[in-house]
Amino acid sequence: MKIRDIALIGILSAIMTAGKLVLSFIPNIEIVTLLFIVYTVTFGVKKGLLISLIFSTTEIFLYGFSTWLLGYYIVWPLLVIFTGLMNKRIKSEYGYATLGAIFGYTFGALFAVVESFFYGPAYGWAYWIRGIGFDLVHGTSNFIIILILYKPMIHMLNRLKKTYYGT
Amino acid sequence: MNKKVITILAVVVIAIVLLTAYKTFLSPKGEEGSKEVTIHIVNKNENIDETFTYKTDHEYLLQLLEEKQEELGVTLEETEYGPMVTGMANYVVDPAKQEFFLISINGEDAMTGVAEIPLKDKDVYKFELTNY
Repeated sequence: MKIRDIALIGILSAIMTAGKLVLSFIPNIEIVTLLFIVYTVTFGVKKGLLISLIFSTTEIFLYGFSTWLLGYYIVWPLLVIFTGLMNKRIKSEYGYATLGAIFGYTFGALFAVVESFFYGPAYGWAYWIRGIGFDLVHGTSNFIIILILYKPMIHMLNRLKKTYYGT
Repeated sequence: MNKKVITILAVVVIAIVLLTAYKTFLSPKGEEGSKEVTIHIVNKNENIDETFTYKTDHEYLLQLLEEKQEELGVTLEETEYGPMVTGMANYVVDPAKQEFFLISINGEDAMTGVAEIPLKDKDVYKFELTNY
């Protein structure tokens, strides 16, 4: 990995954290899913995974350690891997919007599984049921945000990538 | 109309329908209030692992415990440091066994007693039978 790559990963991770903080006052409406998808499509799975690790670790620095933050080390890399796997099959922003929506709708369930390991299945179940309303908002807002912003962001990132790497 | 606008409208309508269905049939019922909090009781000796979710307007944990005293099986004892929880889920600690209920908030040990623990939306208050 070159210094140029390391600097890029740092900048993209910082944008990710800033993007999350900017919208943190609205519950479950975020641009982190969109950013992970466009980062992975533009810069590849390896960089996407590294960004997800840095992003998750930064969250611990910001909010302190708790069990739900452990889930971040699982769900965001999963999103990157799925995006990488689906990359060649998805032809339009509708596909990525659907991927983001599914991710949002299952977000609470994924966390409930992680929480179950710490507090037991009963707690995990209650956690999931209690959060279904938030998951619905999360998945739907992901769909809309990605559908609107995916294309312009991909065009912009591809242009910046060419300038940055001089290719 | 633009295809994207139609798709977004359709998705929003479906989400509203699903959200309404969730609120009507699945959402945990509690008293109306501005905060939703969870009480988690763990007593491994008695195989107790119970979770209660409440909507409340109370400001402090003590007020909620007093209100739900019967349902949660709470025993409170007045000490010189303020009220102390000596029983949960109808189990009262045995000082001879050096038992007490460890209180944690979202996984972090509480630094104050129940009278000073403020209730915050989405917080989980865990009472776990522990030995000192």
